[in-house]
Amino acid sequence: MPDIKVTPLGAGQDVGRSCILVSIGGKNIMLDCGMHMGYNDDRRFPDFSYVTQNGRLTEFLDCVIISHFHLDHCGALPYMSEMVGYDGPIYMTHPTKAICPILLEDFRKITVDKKGETNFFTSQMIKDCMKKVVPLNLHQTVQVDEELEIKAYYAGHVLGAAMFQIKVGSESVVYTGDYNMTPDRHLGAAWIDKCRPDILISESTYATTIRDSKRCRERDFLKKVHETVERGGKVLIPVFALGRAQELCILLETFWERMNLKAPIYFSTGLTEKANHYYKLFITWTNQKIRKTFVQRNMFEFKHIKAFDRSYADNPGPMVVFATPGMLHAGQSLQIFKKWAGNEKNMLIMPGYCVQGTVGHKILNGQKKLEMEGRATVITGTANNVIPHLASTLLDVKLQVEYMSFSAHADAKGIMQLIRMAEPRNMLLVHGEAKKMEFLKDKIEQEVFVRCISCYMPANGETTTVVTNPSVPVDISLNLLKREMALGGPLPDAKRPRTMHGTLIMKDNSLRLVSPEQALKELGLSEHQLRFTCRVQLHDPHSDTDTLGRIYTHLKSVLKSYSIQHVPDGTVIVESIVIKVTSSAEEPNLKVILLSWSYQDEELGSFLSTLLKKGLPS
Amino acid sequence: EAIPQTRRADGPITHWQCSQRRNRQIRYKDLHVFQLEHPTKVIEWTGDKNICVAGYTGSRSEILELLLPLKLYAGENQGLCAERDFKVQHGGFSEEPIESLIHISGTRCVVTSGSSSSTLQIWDIGGDDSDVIKRTGVINLKSTSVKGCKIAPGLTDEPAVLHGSCISEVQLTEIATGRVLYTVAKESSDSVSGLQFVNACVFLICASDGTLFMGDTRDPSTCHYPLEDSKSGLHWAFGLRSDSSQSEPSGCTVARLSSSGHMLLSDLRNLQSPFCQTQLNVQHDASKNDFLNVSWAPVLDRCLSVSGFDGTVHIYNTINWSTEGQSPQPVFSHRGHEMSDEAKYSGSPPVVTTHSWHQSRPKTILSVATDGSLHVWDWVDKITDR
Repeated sequence: MPDIKVTPLGAGQDVGRSCILVSIGGKNIMLDCGMHMGYNDDRRFPDFSYVTQNGRLTEFLDCVIISHFHLDHCGALPYMSEMVGYDGPIYMTHPTKAICPILLEDFRKITVDKKGETNFFTSQMIKDCMKKVVPLNLHQTVQVDEELEIKAYYAGHVLGAAMFQIKVGSESVVYTGDYNMTPDRHLGAAWIDKCRPDILISESTYATTIRDSKRCRERDFLKKVHETVERGGKVLIPVFALGRAQELCILLETFWERMNLKAPIYFSTGLTEKANHYYKLFITWTNQKIRKTFVQRNMFEFKHIKAFDRSYADNPGPMVVFATPGMLHAGQSLQIFKKWAGNEKNMLIMPGYCVQGTVGHKILNGQKKLEMEGRATVITGTANNVIPHLASTLLDVKLQVEYMSFSAHADAKGIMQLIRMAEPRNMLLVHGEAKKMEFLKDKIEQEVFVRCISCYMPANGETTTVVTNPSVPVDISLNLLKREMALGGPLPDAKRPRTMHGTLIMKDNSLRLVSPEQALKELGLSEHQLRFTCRVQLHDPHSDTDTLGRIYTHLKSVLKSYSIQHVPDGTVIVESIVIKVTSSAEEPNLKVILLSWSYQDEELGSFLSTLLKKGLPS
Repeated sequence: EAIPQTRRADGPITHWQCSQRRNRQIRYKDLHVFQLEHPTKVIEWTGDKNICVAGYTGSRSEILELLLPLKLYAGENQGLCAERDFKVQHGGFSEEPIESLIHISGTRCVVTSGSSSSTLQIWDIGGDDSDVIKRTGVINLKSTSVKGCKIAPGLTDEPAVLHGSCISEVQLTEIATGRVLYTVAKESSDSVSGLQFVNACVFLICASDGTLFMGDTRDPSTCHYPLEDSKSGLHWAFGLRSDSSQSEPSGCTVARLSSSGHMLLSDLRNLQSPFCQTQLNVQHDASKNDFLNVSWAPVLDRCLSVSGFDGTVHIYNTINWSTEGQSPQPVFSHRGHEMSDEAKYSGSPPVVTTHSWHQSRPKTILSVATDGSLHVWDWVDKITDR
């Protein structure tokens, strides 16, 4: 039976290292290639040994598709392409192609330079990997090869994020990556047409959640920032250079403008400029509102948000600073944090998940005293014996800490909305933590707007096989059709299909069903008739004519449903099989029964010869 | 409170929230706004942190058991808790719109009544092993009621449900066996607006016309207390305040609310004569009788809340109420449901279908409306919470 196989190597019943293998119509596609931010060992990469135990992946994969630039979807890409080995095409949208290498390099720097890791991809590997990338536009059908085509749809979530349709013949799969169904300040909502894929692979991060309204979360955030600034405190918001940071910037900028606030807001330099540059460059990927106002004023040219300089951290008075990196594990955000942590008037707002081991993670767990490696060299010992070493200091965390989540994912309602848009035949849920999603599965399966739908939730390494029912269009010749109609009987319908015979001609991507004679004619072949003959010897003390009559009677009693005729010219005809009886003058009781049949009646012919060999009843 | 009508294309804050900030008045200690896929007219607590809601607008309805946002329970560590969302813990499907839903205390069992069948449905919400709410049985009713049969949990050890859509049909049925434990022997076809047990044996029924019936399952007769001045065309709802589920009548007060905003407070020992009568300043709309709700605060002394007239929930302190006085002013009014964006763009403003007090947090209320909105809010009393 034709089928599609889906195997998550990551993000199966889990969030992190998204990597899903799809086998469809003989093609193998890898969807996303992410890194799990919660591990420091090999568990952070998807397990590629599922594809092949050793050696390169090139011959096993027809293409790789990356949905967006978040590291849990693309973080393992250079490792896969350069260290495991893959030379085929890697598809992603233009913004993803532009931004991925920046985030990968940033991540590489921190992992290797700051944490001293050795088994990690190099800067050159990132560059080599990106050379294999083929960028594509939204709603543009791209032929990967003669049979496999892919198309990208807008997903919302972050700049450049896309959902992908993968199609081979009449079978198709849609992979959502991460998406959201409600527009936000700078991105629109995901959209797809009624493409009716065989499988819709959807993220389910918030599938069993009813989310608090965005306005309430924003209001809370603004309230906390405002209160801190009003009492003269400083607010530190560690962010990744690209992603939700832009959303928060627009939010603060609008609030500052409306409330006429004077306290300075800063965004740390370096990646910032590139980030805003990309948002301006890819303005068509933002939402309607931004595009419309872009003519008068670029939404990403902020009036109240300025570039940060290291020295500003020591300035007195209130301020708000967005600094990278997001988990406070190194760099500028950590530097600023060290300076501001001791003052309870200040505030730290963590806008996302922090990996274990990072300072961010420790603080969110309530730790109030942190051991920090100092920069200053301390000299101890006597005048003659000087021992320099890095002083480690204990940092008192007195500032207020707020953990707020601003990520944009679809919730249960959003997933149902997408299902109604796309009308898939089957659903497969990934990138979610709920171990029990039976209710959601029931809900999806009973959704009245779509036809019969099954819902799957495989774990990592578990293959889900979905039987598809691809329709193969075949043209039938008029002659053949007329011949079938002439046979009479009830008209065939979907519940009572009727078998028919014909010859299938596959030529130039078209399929035609014609009669055998026509096929032979088209092929320029002459028809041959095959006839078999068989002689059965029988002892029967009767005249030839009587023997034939006895044969006729015998066959009539055995073969009740067949057409048997006793023809006056001395033959018995069963269907197309001809039976004659002869004998020699010397031995009149030794009858020779001659059976002759055409190839079509081979089975019946053999049966009759075997039957007659047994003799006639008396 | 004039609300500024500035129209900003990209305003981050809705007008009513913004106006609060400008007036330097902090009205809410906490406010969470959610949107259910389908509106509900029931909120029933099934645990300290769990509620059940159920749909009433489609032929197939979802019953959901939701976990309240953990942020509400984080106490001092609220800042460190990012969880501000409801989680769907269990879900199930009913073949009819659900009018009432009650939880049997100490069990994982809920009972629902709907608008199209002549049965009460019994459900098992489920435990940790499955997230599906399964139907485990039915209780057959004598008739079908479009408004749904009114139901209330029995307070005995053996799970039972008190139910009836008209007075003469009220009975107490044991859930496990279907056995009828008690029947009200009253020949009255008046429709029931609500019913509730005061303790294990004593129960109250409020008829739609405001008449109160008090009965005891140990005694076949029931006493009834009609209103002195009964106006026709009004629909009445009631709310019982008791110190605990094992109360004696001496500790209980009954509030009765009419669809025109008339309020009566009675002591259970003297239901004949209410000790307080007053008129609330609300709009009367006969079409909205369905959602009338009056509830007593479980923690705050003599505070009650009222909803169902429009998109507002009003909170009153009844301590200073007197019969001769003017219309009492609410100590707080939650207007969130009628001020939302959804409300502005829809043809008819939403009406609060029901609301419920949090069982332990003194000022936390959950309210839901006809547009599917679900609000969890913690209000600030201007006078006492300075």
